Amino acid sequence: MTKPLNRRRFLQTSAATGLAAGIAPSIAHAQDPLGIALVVPSPVGEVGWSHALAMGLEPIKAEYGDSVNITILENIPEGPDADRIMNKVVADGAKFLLAGSFGYQNGAMQIARRNPDVTVLHASGFMVAPNFSPFAAKYFQGTYLMGMAAAALSKTGKLGSVSAFAIPELITSINAFTLGAQSVNPDIEVSVVWVNSWFDPAQEQDAAKALLAQDCDVIFSNAQDTPSVVSVCEEAGAYVFNLNSSMKKNAPTKYLGCVETDWSPFFMESVKGHLDGTFEGRNAFLGVEDNVVKVVDWNPDIPAETKAKIDEVEAAIADGSFHPFTGRIVKQDETVGVEDGETLPDEAIVSMDWHVAGVTTPLPN
Amino acid sequence: MGIRMIRRTTASRRMAVLAPMGALALAIVLNFLLYIVMGNDPAAVFYALLLEPFVSWSSFSEVLLKMTPLLLIAQGLAIGFRAKVINIGAEGQFILGAIFASAIPVWFPQATGGWIWPLMLLLGGVGGALWAALPAFWRVRLNASEILVTLMMSLIAGQLLAYLLVGPWKDPMGFNFPQTVMFQWDAMVPTLIPGTRVNVALILALLWTALAYVYMQKSFQGYQLVVGGLAPHATAYAGFSEGRAVWLSLLIGGFAAGLAGAAEVAGPMGQLQRGIASGYGYAAIIVAYLGGLHPVGILFSSLFMAALYIGGDNAMVSAGLPVAAVRVFQGSLLCCYLAAIVLVRYRLVRDGQEVTA
Amino acid sequence: MPAPLLSLRGLSKSYGTVRANRDIDLDVAEGSIHAILGENGAGKSTLMKLIYGVESPDAGEMRWRGNLVSPSSPNEARSQGIGMVFQHFSLFETLTVVENISLIVPGKKRALVARIRQLGQDYGLEVDPLAHVHALSVGERQRVEIIRCLMTNPKLLILDEPTSVLPPQSVKTLFETLLKLRDRGVSILFISHKLEEIRSICDHATILRDGAVTGNVDPREHDAHDLAQMMIGRDMPEARAFAAREPGPVLLELAGLDYQPDDPFQMSLKAVSLKLHAGEILGIAGVSGNGQGELARLISGETRRHAEARDEVMMFGQPVGDLGAAARRKLGFAFVPEERLGRGAVPEMSLSDNSLLTAHGLGLVRRGLIDRGAEDAFTRRCIADYDVRTPGPQAEAGALSGGNLQKFIVGREMELAPNLFFVSQPTWGVDIGAATEIRRRLVDMRNAGVAVLVISEEIEELFEICDRIQVIREGRLSPSLTVSKTRVEEVGRYMIGAEEGAA
Repeated sequence: MTKPLNRRRFLQTSAATGLAAGIAPSIAHAQDPLGIALVVPSPVGEVGWSHALAMGLEPIKAEYGDSVNITILENIPEGPDADRIMNKVVADGAKFLLAGSFGYQNGAMQIARRNPDVTVLHASGFMVAPNFSPFAAKYFQGTYLMGMAAAALSKTGKLGSVSAFAIPELITSINAFTLGAQSVNPDIEVSVVWVNSWFDPAQEQDAAKALLAQDCDVIFSNAQDTPSVVSVCEEAGAYVFNLNSSMKKNAPTKYLGCVETDWSPFFMESVKGHLDGTFEGRNAFLGVEDNVVKVVDWNPDIPAETKAKIDEVEAAIADGSFHPFTGRIVKQDETVGVEDGETLPDEAIVSMDWHVAGVTTPLPN
Repeated sequence: MGIRMIRRTTASRRMAVLAPMGALALAIVLNFLLYIVMGNDPAAVFYALLLEPFVSWSSFSEVLLKMTPLLLIAQGLAIGFRAKVINIGAEGQFILGAIFASAIPVWFPQATGGWIWPLMLLLGGVGGALWAALPAFWRVRLNASEILVTLMMSLIAGQLLAYLLVGPWKDPMGFNFPQTVMFQWDAMVPTLIPGTRVNVALILALLWTALAYVYMQKSFQGYQLVVGGLAPHATAYAGFSEGRAVWLSLLIGGFAAGLAGAAEVAGPMGQLQRGIASGYGYAAIIVAYLGGLHPVGILFSSLFMAALYIGGDNAMVSAGLPVAAVRVFQGSLLCCYLAAIVLVRYRLVRDGQEVTA
Repeated sequence: MPAPLLSLRGLSKSYGTVRANRDIDLDVAEGSIHAILGENGAGKSTLMKLIYGVESPDAGEMRWRGNLVSPSSPNEARSQGIGMVFQHFSLFETLTVVENISLIVPGKKRALVARIRQLGQDYGLEVDPLAHVHALSVGERQRVEIIRCLMTNPKLLILDEPTSVLPPQSVKTLFETLLKLRDRGVSILFISHKLEEIRSICDHATILRDGAVTGNVDPREHDAHDLAQMMIGRDMPEARAFAAREPGPVLLELAGLDYQPDDPFQMSLKAVSLKLHAGEILGIAGVSGNGQGELARLISGETRRHAEARDEVMMFGQPVGDLGAAARRKLGFAFVPEERLGRGAVPEMSLSDNSLLTAHGLGLVRRGLIDRGAEDAFTRRCIADYDVRTPGPQAEAGALSGGNLQKFIVGREMELAPNLFFVSQPTWGVDIGAATEIRRRLVDMRNAGVAVLVISEEIEELFEICDRIQVIREGRLSPSLTVSKTRVEEVGRYMIGAEEGAA
């Protein structure tokens, strides 16, 4: 992690270089490294959401070296504190802000509006501005594949998911997981426990144990930043997978795989755009086709024929010939969610508020 | 040769001034070593931590913003602490204040008018006072420890907030995120200084401080509370009501915390979300004691604590200090202070030291 | 003549501008009982604190068996052979005697029990080592304190007003103990203001006034009047002539009050009846711990009864059993409790603020705010009228000597101009001059038509001022005894229960 100078010393240093070289401050300014700041809600640690975001900056560091100056601010609670810290880091000279949590949206958007020269990437949101891109991963592509593997390995026909919050992103992941499983075993059932926290290892473990007690034998750890669920499943002998970064070492035998997010292609593209002046705010919904979503660390227990089918589907998703949310899809309440032959548009996916049939747990409210 | 502590016959005023400064110096030395070991530049860290909050108007305005809830809550709590009514549930009363205040913009998102935010602040105070009234009732009627009950009520408040945010109060357009709608303009406390986030709540907190000063230093009711805290038997002898002291202490503390919660949700927050419960209620306990439970002392200690928070953020942003190290500094400073204030009432003497005749 | 055990030369100690001890010379011989006599504020307590290492002197030297010493803590004083029994005991009520002692004295419990029994036999300090302290009488508690001192084999024992808490019978036992101790080579520093006691037991007396020594005498060669004059520097105030008068209406009445306290360590009261008329003084005698505290709280309103029992206490003809202390004060009642610190006064607060405690109704509070000017004026009046020795109204109550604080509290309560006045232990720890003054004022109040109730453990005091006396023992009150027709021994018999059958 690169550590920036504090502001006073920063000014002293640049003034000194300016004097020594005898060049105008404006030129010195042009040589300033690009300040990139990442603000994340949890500790970066070694795994999880914040870790994946931080890792996404590594290739940028490798590529640009001293001409970028990366600051990572971890464990920043959403609300006034995050707003202040984002303002502060921009006031300190950062021109490229990565707001790594949905709850930063309002503060980050205000910064973007007030500072047209600052580029903001915001995770999981929906607001767009010329210098403000929300970004999200098509986790559902990966969880669909995971569903196929889970159904092939499940003996009880019951799958489970420990999930953070009932927001569209997580709902779509569960739905795709269910659809993928049903493509292998139409009778499969999926139970969900919402823990209503991004970070609460104790509650996550309790939730996992509850699912195991209901005979679920493959568990989807949906948006947990700790190996809490993964470890519990390894101990109990149930297959388990998670999102963002691999936790295979926490479950050496029962780790089904990881729906990994590699944000670096998107970050790299955005930084380039910022430096070239070609950045344009857009709703970046990134998936297998963008090399952002990948499934890694597949468990060798998966039958070869299933694995072959999975690879086939993955390739089809990448080239656009297959979409997991293609009809006919029936909702939990037995109405039709997607008509036969139709494909759900992105706007409907990012605001999905219903479960597919086969998910046994009703959505909260 | 060991060192012994001997109680002073009178509290040392010199020490009362020197002890906090000594504590700050000791904490700086200890953390200096830590930063050296961690490979941070101590000068840069201490600059960001201790000076930077004051050098620019934009960061000082953030100090004032952060100070506002701390000052409000701590002044309220200190009144109870002087009466030995130990309300450690300000966090819950703060949350209830935020919830009560949010009821208006959540239920009437279209309402307009200059009356909205003052009413919200008032409702917030009432909400906090009601939440504190339950422990008061149990203490007076059933002699249940207000320490335990207020703490447990805080946990309940947290659950109530979570329920409202994932349930009935969730923003229908908010993608299922656990938060309410953004409040309309009239439901926001007006900004005091353009270009900053400091709002009218700061004025209220300062007024509240003045009121607390008059109440505790000049009013007979405040005097009765202090007597109750210092000498419960004297309270009974004088015929002051112990029950009333409990009610007053908790209601005042709860009102202040609720008001702070309302000002936070209708100020920098702008909507009710889980982040509202960010520990102000607990930090204010520290602020109250750091300020010696005196209204003027609390004015300074809340400023100090707020600066420490902002400085901590600065140290993360500008000096690359990890958040854990910031907490270590804040914690070690407090420990040093608590150790140092012992010297106000005690003096150190070496074993076997001859006391000159 | 051998070197004295303890020898002080030119010892001085100041607190700010107050010179508590000035140039004190004192020689305590081996095997003597040496009295320190003086009014409150004369510097007796300060001197003892210097000797016992609680405080350090500003100037002067202290020799112990000829060697220069300067004890900087009680621990050090104890290790050299100096022990002290304070006027107010420091025992944990919930622990047993031996447990209390083992907190200070090292050793196995069994060995300690044996030593306690042995010391008890040797010196007439009998007490059950396994008894809980809360079950002991004050006299027994004092014995525990003395035993605790003796466990460290002291050569000098300091006793601070030891007799002020004892009934007459126990005083006799204590004196026998002290004489035995002296005969076995323990010197005793005996602080007192009771001149007769000093004349009966002490072989030497040093008299202090205003922080300086004013006399070194053999008390057996002087009469009480001489000693008093040396002590207060003037003639003793005369006791007020006692005008016989017809008692007025009943202002306080308890009719068969039964009271079972919640606290198991407290005494329950059974069928307590008394009637107090305007213009008379009724005394409650008794050995402490027989229900005086509980009775006082019931009368003062610090213990409130439920509404059904409200007529168990009648004041001015009204049932007040369910009223608090402030409500009773409004009716014209005033009360001086036996504990000054923490009850009658808040130690951490100034005298001014302590005035507010009960006198707030005298215009010291206006529209809810404290009138500092009125508060200050009231406090100055109490200080001046009742001869409270203090730097001023802003002095902390806890910094005053016991007697001065008592004068302040008595003054504050008298200023309320009550019609019914109740004092518990009016002269406890108060010097002779001040005690006489307080008694004189009580009699003045009586003569002015006030009903006065006095609880005291000093029979002489009650006999001096009361019209009638009732004795409390184990929560029961004896029949009323008219002082003019009663002898001291009769009251003493009620105190120890010998009169039970007869009553």
